[in-house]
Amino acid sequence: MSDEEHHFESKADAGASKTYPQQAGTIRKNGYIVIKARPCKVVEVSTSKTGKHGHAKCHFVGIDIFTAKKLEDIVPSSHNCDVPHVNRTDYQLIDISEDGFVSLLTESGDTKDDLRLPTDDNLLKQIKDGFAEGKDLVVSVMSAMGEEQICALKDIGPK
Amino acid sequence: MQGFSDGGADLAQLQSTMRTIEVACTSIQMHINPTAAEATILSLAQSPQPYKACQFILENSQVANARFQAVAAIRDAAIREWSFLSNEDRRSLISFCLCFIMQHASSPEGYVQAKVSSVAAQLMKRGWLEFTAAEKEAFFYQVKQAILGAHGVDVQFIGVNFLESLISEFSPSTSSAMGLPREFHEQCRTSLELNYLKTFYFWARDAALSVTNKIIESDAVIPEVKVCTAALRLMLQILNWEFRHDTNSTKASINVFSAVVRHDNASSKRSECVLVQPGPAWCDVLISSGHVGWLLGLYAALRQKFSCKGYWLDCPIAVSARKLIVQFCSLTGSIFASDNGKMQENHMLQLLSGILQWIDPPDVVSKAIEEGKCESEMLDGCRALLSIATVTTHFVFDQLLKAIRPFGTLTLLSTLMCEVVKVLMTNNTDEETWSWEARDILLDTWTILLVPMDGSGGNALLPPEGKHAAANIFAMIVESELKVASASVANDDGDSDYLQASISAMDERLSSYALIARAAIDITIPLLTRHFSERFVRLDQGRGIIDPTETLEELYSLLLITGHVLADEGDGETPLVPTAIQTDFVDIVEAEKHPVVVLSASIIRFAEQSMDPEVRATVFSPRLMEAVIWFLARWSHTYLMPLEESKCHLSHGYDHQHQSIHSRKALLSFFGEHNQGQIVLNIIVRISTMTLMSYPGEKDLQGLTCHHLLHTLVRRKNICHKLVSLDSWRDLANAFINEKVLFLLSSANQRSLAQTLVLSASGLRNSEASNQYVRGLMVHMTTYLVELSNKKNLKSVAQQPDIIMSVSCFLERLRGAASAAEPRTQRAVYEMGISVMNPVLLLLEVYKHESAVIYLLLKFIVDWVDGQISYLEAQETASVIDFCMRLLQLYSSHNIGKISISLSSTLLSEAKTEKYKDLRALLQLLSSLCSKDLVDFSSDSIEVEGTNISQVVYFGLHIVTPLISLELLKYPKLCHDYFSLLSHILEVYPETFAQLNSDAFAHIVGTLDFGLHHQDLEVVNMCLGALKALASYHYRKMCAGKTGLGSHAAGHGNFPEGIFSRFLRSLLQLLLFEDYSPDLVSAAADALLPLILCEQGVYQRLGNELIERQANPMLKSRLANALHSLTSSNHLSSTLDRVNYQRFRKNLNSLLIEVRGFLRTM
Repeated sequence: MSDEEHHFESKADAGASKTYPQQAGTIRKNGYIVIKARPCKVVEVSTSKTGKHGHAKCHFVGIDIFTAKKLEDIVPSSHNCDVPHVNRTDYQLIDISEDGFVSLLTESGDTKDDLRLPTDDNLLKQIKDGFAEGKDLVVSVMSAMGEEQICALKDIGPK
Repeated sequence: MQGFSDGGADLAQLQSTMRTIEVACTSIQMHINPTAAEATILSLAQSPQPYKACQFILENSQVANARFQAVAAIRDAAIREWSFLSNEDRRSLISFCLCFIMQHASSPEGYVQAKVSSVAAQLMKRGWLEFTAAEKEAFFYQVKQAILGAHGVDVQFIGVNFLESLISEFSPSTSSAMGLPREFHEQCRTSLELNYLKTFYFWARDAALSVTNKIIESDAVIPEVKVCTAALRLMLQILNWEFRHDTNSTKASINVFSAVVRHDNASSKRSECVLVQPGPAWCDVLISSGHVGWLLGLYAALRQKFSCKGYWLDCPIAVSARKLIVQFCSLTGSIFASDNGKMQENHMLQLLSGILQWIDPPDVVSKAIEEGKCESEMLDGCRALLSIATVTTHFVFDQLLKAIRPFGTLTLLSTLMCEVVKVLMTNNTDEETWSWEARDILLDTWTILLVPMDGSGGNALLPPEGKHAAANIFAMIVESELKVASASVANDDGDSDYLQASISAMDERLSSYALIARAAIDITIPLLTRHFSERFVRLDQGRGIIDPTETLEELYSLLLITGHVLADEGDGETPLVPTAIQTDFVDIVEAEKHPVVVLSASIIRFAEQSMDPEVRATVFSPRLMEAVIWFLARWSHTYLMPLEESKCHLSHGYDHQHQSIHSRKALLSFFGEHNQGQIVLNIIVRISTMTLMSYPGEKDLQGLTCHHLLHTLVRRKNICHKLVSLDSWRDLANAFINEKVLFLLSSANQRSLAQTLVLSASGLRNSEASNQYVRGLMVHMTTYLVELSNKKNLKSVAQQPDIIMSVSCFLERLRGAASAAEPRTQRAVYEMGISVMNPVLLLLEVYKHESAVIYLLLKFIVDWVDGQISYLEAQETASVIDFCMRLLQLYSSHNIGKISISLSSTLLSEAKTEKYKDLRALLQLLSSLCSKDLVDFSSDSIEVEGTNISQVVYFGLHIVTPLISLELLKYPKLCHDYFSLLSHILEVYPETFAQLNSDAFAHIVGTLDFGLHHQDLEVVNMCLGALKALASYHYRKMCAGKTGLGSHAAGHGNFPEGIFSRFLRSLLQLLLFEDYSPDLVSAAADALLPLILCEQGVYQRLGNELIERQANPMLKSRLANALHSLTSSNHLSSTLDRVNYQRFRKNLNSLLIEVRGFLRTM
């Protein structure tokens, strides 16, 4: 990790309740972590020592859960890291509008219309095709640190 | 390609074939369209009867590669078509190859020669059991003439080379595959060993003898050297043969209790040192004929020549001669007359005195090497010592040298190794230098000499001189290790340096050190004590003034060495105090002065200082603490409250010396329950708690504490007994329940700590108290989970990272507790699980996107069910099973049809891996449920409650199998679990299989088909087992007039032909046309027989189709006959009993040998 990448390390825009502090040593593979103000899923943790008789430090490799960019960080394992609050909500898909937005049905019966279709072609196709075929689709929307994105799709299909 | 077939065999056609092959070979070399060229060459090998063309190429082509390919083609074709070549043809092919190499003996293209000679060897082996003795004789006559030098040096060399190929072909480990059963190779090996091997050795020796004088007399390199080298190599190869048929004494390994056990024992320990046990028949050629004297003389003469041009220390002939000499050092067994080992001693003394010049005097030799002399002779000398050590006891080993020197061999070994270690110390590099290698060989030699052989764990006492030698070398070793340690501080690549890693890397070396130290234990223990106290003082005085890092690293090394010297690895058993330590301190009466007590106590006192925060910060680095914890674990396993001394008396009946009993008693009781044991235990527990609380984030250290130290403590009942009464243990349990710091332990440590604490409950007086103790430990966790799951806003709360962390932490702890269930605490653990059943289902719902938590939930349930199921009463079983089914259903409803989406391919593959792990856990859950039918400790049968395990498992399979895609089956472990569950179920409950709905049925059949073509042998085996079970079940039911698998067998919907005919077809296809391991044939036969019986009509049809496809009338009739005898020969009947299965296996084997050769080439 090079130093010049450090400069926008600030938690201000993350919002206090959107992340929680957690000891670096307790963050595991498949957990979440904030690296460079981005919410990441941890895909690799390794520990090493600072010098032969020094203390342990953790080396994290994370993947940004929204942009899929790979990020890395090294933290002394007794120090705290920020862990993002990642929420996933299921909605039923009710419409896809011409301009690339989807219309979703919330649990309380309202609609949620502010979410764009995903950019990924494969997923886009699956959603559009499934919708066109008239399947009952449930989408999972993942949200963390003020961003949200469709992350999974499930056909609850006519039984 | 028909063009290669030599039906007409006119010259023009042969020439055109030759040109085609030559062009193909050249274009491969030039790398022009290699695929096409390879195809051309392959088609030559695959065309029927290409021999004439190949021979034509061999004799006429100018392109060496073409000749090479031609002879390779002969090999392939002949092995394939062997069964229908005439005897005449077979022999002529072999003679052709033999004549070819003899005639072209001086050819410069060695690789073509080598290939032809190996093809001759392979063909000879292929026909070995069919040729008559006279026919073989005819081949060998030619070879013998060549080897004895009748046709000149080149031919002599070729002859020796041919025998080399022949022997490696007959030795099972180096033989080439011929598509024949293993018995064939075994029979060939036996026949060669009994009838020819010794003759070959004679020839090789005579060939070498015939040229020896010429070589010794001439100062230049002459062609004879090549022959001699080859002959030496051949002799070495023959001595490397794994002799089986030692005619006189029946194999030593059969009688495990005989005195010769030492040999097998030692050889299994050091596999690199092959023992040569040719048996008494070889005595004349190897021992009594002065053969060794000749060999040593030859090498001594070569040594004189090293200054001459063309000879040097590593020239081939010198290397071969040395290797052969070293091999002779491993000679043992019944070849030596039973004269109390006199003959063997003489033999070894003769060798040793020859070898001595290579290594003695050690300082001169090592100096010469450091100045640039080649080290290989010295290394071979070390190897020879190792070989001698392997076949003798340390007593005989030591005595050998005394016949010619004023000191024993052990002293020589010690001085030699000291020199080596000195060199190692002065140029300490990471590269593997000669001194590394020499050190390892010599260390192995010590190990083999000192390792206890009689199984009692006692190593016999060395004589005083040998003891002295051992003490010297140990002091040297410690000095060098300390130097390495303090030097390593400077190079800061600490990343790879973990305790476990360094211990396991050094383990073999450390245990060798321990053996040496124990050989002179009364000198080495005080030495270690001195080293420790010097460093303790240095730390104490230098605190805050000098950088302690070097000293810390030295202590780290010392702790590892001392741990190995004082105690053995338990390997799951409770290790005893090493015999040397029990017996060798004769005159110690007061326990406090016992050197072992002094050393142990000084280390424990040192460790105790870590409780002081200030000292901890300056001295006890995490790395040093790791070594301390490791040492304490190993030490306490052996010394802390040992099972009473009286037991040790029983195990060794040879203590006559009253005093030795005394000192042993003193040592054993010092750390016993009624003496210092409890105090030390208390210290150890407090240190453990401290490492868990005061080294935040040091996973490795905490892992050692949990898995190693604490786990060791609770393994013994008497220690548990004391533990539960200690305040320090109560403090640890309280911290576990309440301290936030301990919630931060890593998951595996969390689990292990919970397990340890639950296990310690066995130390309480009765089951009541134990259960109460476990409840007290776990109730906080279960209450938390229950309360959390009852929250109204669970859905949003649960997603918070801190909640996720607590939930994960508690699930890990529950899992740890679940896996610690013992009969005594079973009730409490059962209640613990029951109380969180509902929360588990609720959490499964809210965390359905949080794969990490889901996995923990599943693993907890798997471990809990696994630990509980066999104890449960009918009612309880029913509710547990009901719960599991709900869990499975819920899991599957979340996951079926779900598509995860991510831009990142890493995350996608992670998601797949997670799914794989979940499914594996679910399969394990089903397997555990299955086991209720096999192991059941409950008082009533579960059928009382109407629970039928097979129904449950089938219901489970219905839920789980749709999740298992062929994609996921590519994970080897999942695949393995899945098929072992499947084959188990099909074997035990085939009847329920018939009731599956058609989708599930089709899915399972699909996976079976997949498994049948899997690469993993075991998976295929399990699938074959499953098929066998299904088909034989169906057949038996049909015979009894029932429907068996009913509609599934008849076929419908997607499978119009029915499963049995489908599998019959694919199995036959596999057996006849595809590649597979010969080990599968028996299992395949067992599956094929019931399949054929189920679908006789289909089998007839398939057979007829096969026969019809065959164009060649001769092959057609062979195939028809072979297929006919598959089902009719050997009195095969249509029942499914053991005898019949066996007959069918035989039939199938002969069918495959008969027809696979030509079927596969069509």
